[in-house]
Amino acid sequence: MLNALRWVVFAIAAFAVNFPVIVTLVTSFKSAREISTNPGLFIETPTLENYLTVLQVSDRLNIFLYLANSFAAAAIGTGIAVLLALPMAYAMVRGGLGAKTLLPLIVNLRAVPLVIFAIPIYMMFQWLGLLDTRFGLGLVLAIVNVPLVLVILVNAISEVPLDLDEAALIDGASRTAILFRIIAPVCRPAIATSLIFGFITAWNEFLFGLMLTTSKAVPVTVGASFFFAASGGGVQWGVAAAVMIVGALPPMLLGLLMYRQISRSMMAGAVKG
Amino acid sequence: MRIAERTEWNLLATPLVAFLLLCLGFPALVNLVYSVSEISFETLRSPTLSGFGNFAAVLQDSAFWRANWFSLRFGLLTALLECVLGLFLAIFLAPLFKERSWPLAILMLPLMVAPALVGLMYRLVLHEFAGPVPYYLWQWFGNSPSFLGINSAFWTLVAVETLQWTPFAFLLFHMAYHAIPEEVREAAAIDGANAFQRLTRIELPLMTPILGVALLIRFIDGFRVFDNVYVLTGSGAGGSTASLSIYIYEAFFKQGAIGKAVAASVLLFLASFAILYGLNMIARRRRK
Amino acid sequence: MKTISRTAARLLGCVFAGGLMLSSAQAEVTVLGWPGGPEETALRAVAEAYNARPDVSDENKVELLFFNRDGFWDKLQADLAAGSDAFDINLLATYSIGRYAPFMEPVTLSDEAKDLYGEAVLSTMQFEGQQYGVPTDLSLHFMYYRKDLIDELMGDDAAKARYAEIAQEHLGKALEPKNPDEWTWDDFAATALYFTQAVNPDSPTRYGTVLQLKNLLFNIMVWQSIPRSYGGDWMDAEGKITVNSDAYRKGLELYKLLYDAGATPRDSLSYEFPEANAAFAAGQVAAMLQWNAAAADLTSADKSPAVAEVTGTVAPPAGPEGRKTHIHGLGLGLNKNAANKEGAKAFLTWLSTKEAALIYARNGGAPALSAEAVKEIASERPDLVQLGEYAGSYGYVMNGGASANALAVYELQAKEFTGYWSGQQDIDTALANTEKGMTELLK
Repeated sequence: MLNALRWVVFAIAAFAVNFPVIVTLVTSFKSAREISTNPGLFIETPTLENYLTVLQVSDRLNIFLYLANSFAAAAIGTGIAVLLALPMAYAMVRGGLGAKTLLPLIVNLRAVPLVIFAIPIYMMFQWLGLLDTRFGLGLVLAIVNVPLVLVILVNAISEVPLDLDEAALIDGASRTAILFRIIAPVCRPAIATSLIFGFITAWNEFLFGLMLTTSKAVPVTVGASFFFAASGGGVQWGVAAAVMIVGALPPMLLGLLMYRQISRSMMAGAVKG
Repeated sequence: MRIAERTEWNLLATPLVAFLLLCLGFPALVNLVYSVSEISFETLRSPTLSGFGNFAAVLQDSAFWRANWFSLRFGLLTALLECVLGLFLAIFLAPLFKERSWPLAILMLPLMVAPALVGLMYRLVLHEFAGPVPYYLWQWFGNSPSFLGINSAFWTLVAVETLQWTPFAFLLFHMAYHAIPEEVREAAAIDGANAFQRLTRIELPLMTPILGVALLIRFIDGFRVFDNVYVLTGSGAGGSTASLSIYIYEAFFKQGAIGKAVAASVLLFLASFAILYGLNMIARRRRK
Repeated sequence: MKTISRTAARLLGCVFAGGLMLSSAQAEVTVLGWPGGPEETALRAVAEAYNARPDVSDENKVELLFFNRDGFWDKLQADLAAGSDAFDINLLATYSIGRYAPFMEPVTLSDEAKDLYGEAVLSTMQFEGQQYGVPTDLSLHFMYYRKDLIDELMGDDAAKARYAEIAQEHLGKALEPKNPDEWTWDDFAATALYFTQAVNPDSPTRYGTVLQLKNLLFNIMVWQSIPRSYGGDWMDAEGKITVNSDAYRKGLELYKLLYDAGATPRDSLSYEFPEANAAFAAGQVAAMLQWNAAAADLTSADKSPAVAEVTGTVAPPAGPEGRKTHIHGLGLGLNKNAANKEGAKAFLTWLSTKEAALIYARNGGAPALSAEAVKEIASERPDLVQLGEYAGSYGYVMNGGASANALAVYELQAKEFTGYWSGQQDIDTALANTEKGMTELLK
């Protein structure tokens, strides 16, 4: 009895939190005619024409470019973050480096509204010619990812038994070698988790995408908003909906596949922070 | 021969530190310099020092204080709502997850969608003529409230944020609840505690730390909200839905008031650090 | 191992950067256009036609580039200020010429241009007496209205009486329904009120009009034809700011009256172009002041089946000083730092010929052409006939509307005026703040 109620509550909660995505999904299968006459949730004449328009590229706007940009920037942003954080995490856990000062500082970074740095970074990038480049955007995404990735890796490394290190030390291995030959392989799950989590976070970034790109490196979160253009051309809600679904799909799929690992990282990130 | 350990540790730490210094330290410096200079888009590379005029302009700008107030209210309300709802869901739905974890995935889905996209989606959902919510309300009740009117916009935004991020709080609480050892519950049951007493005397107290963490994280995220508010209402009629981040963004990009924008950034930076430092001190004292 | 991955990442970055450089090293003529709308489609068609011409060498072929719409103008300025040569030709808008003129070079148009466009339209691309661009698209406003509803109203005596009643009650004078082509702003208001269910429960539509009240600079452009038709202007001949005037008050109060009466959806405070169109296309609005660009979709049976057949367009209503419509042009001009200046100049001159203008028009662009020229495509683009006519007869640019800070002025007005319309501040405060801000910006 109570259990049935639990399921009902679950269904309501699941529907409510996923509502915007559901509506957008439904709208993306409606024709333009139907959208102006039937805003409800039940489609009268489902159609794939919106997706065809979107995927047909580009005369209007190039969804493949945006997807590629998102992918590249997120990959760079995650890869760099992990590469930089791993050695640091090791130094912090085993070497006690900066455990009292640096770690809290970096973790607190997560709390700072990054818009503060957006302006000088914009100016720096302009000077360095990094504006509107995937690499530039990737660098910024790496900054965004570093705090949480560092925390996850610090957590993971502290769980690696000390004997592994000691054994290797006795054999005369350098710390760097230990890191890459022993620690990293053992921490593979955590590294994978931080890669996934970082990728999703980077993919979903909007503000920096908005400020730092103009045409060539526009990620899909910003590209989707083009379809709501002010002045000029009509807004076709159906096409816009299709674009949003396409843009939201990769992280959602990743999330569905890896939700267990992701939830663990969120937990780790929260506790340490 | 291995090089001295200290050196090796430092070497390992260098890449990240260098990266952060370059990408954050340098911008922070630039911020400080620009906040006390006169600059515009044309003179972006050659600021002229001018004293604290920018700070004065920001502190005298009523829009700045309004944005602060918006961010504060928004952060507090969303954090509270998300934690209360998340806690309820975590505890009430706990038995459902004993045998299966796929419902978790479904509830976690909103966390995977970019807040900016969610904002755009709501533009559709709440539109009086193209969206389902007003449509069904008109059908069932003959009327539908205005979601983005002057008084309702704030609440709509709160709802949008809450609906997307309650799963985050839910997740944290679910895992914390799950982590409470069965023996503790059993022991309490043996001692004669009923379900309600178990909840209030044992489980909730054990979850208090994570509750605090969740509240803090959600408050911070709510305070610095940008994406979904920006795409849904922009800065709002007369600037009524400008969060602090939106205020800074618009000062820079729309008004070209670079000095003011940067001064506001510096103030925000100092404020966040002060608060976080303070919290850290409290936490450290508690641990002792 | 770590070094290899990092080198790989750096290489990746170099590849991207290299790819970018590669594309600009081909000495083409790079044109930066306005993305995501009919202007983009039309520009592509024109570029294709130009590149197919036998007398255009490979190095002078046109390549197109499109920026993000949001923050477009600021990024463009930042790039121009930095002396970028990533594009030879860039987009210009009337309200931003003053801002970009320091980084651009005046252009020479073809001989046909004067007769093709007419003085008024050419002036949308002029600044301080110099021609800075080819006016490829003109934007102005139409009054969109439901022919069926107006006809019905005019043929029903009981309805006419009710109309007069409503006008008397809200506007202080009993008015009679008229043909929209003869409207004054009071007629517009009366019609909007009549067709609002909150005012007139028998109204066939929920709302009489839909106003775009989002805090957005483009929405001010839509609104300012009202004060203009009452004689308003940004500044007088001596440069003194004149917004704190009766004309401006009349315009502001009209919108406020309609919003408070419920003649426009309450959510209008977050409405801009797409939302207003969706409302009209749903068949729940009787008349709407809107950009001409919406005409194509609103009259297409495919896109707006509910209203396509019965939507009419006329120029905005008249005030005591006549009928006015805000015009601004989009156009293409020459970057001072262009890498391929000669090629760029050749393209721009060709662009201002009749041949180019017609190709542009046939493919979705909206140039305002003289009556002579527009005859040739009147059958395919009947809306352009109206466009050219209205631009020539009713078009205006505010004094200061092309200055360097024009956009900032619009932003300021948007903030202050939406504050008034949403009831957060009174009209005196709004106008005083605007006057103060504009004095700073336009000095």
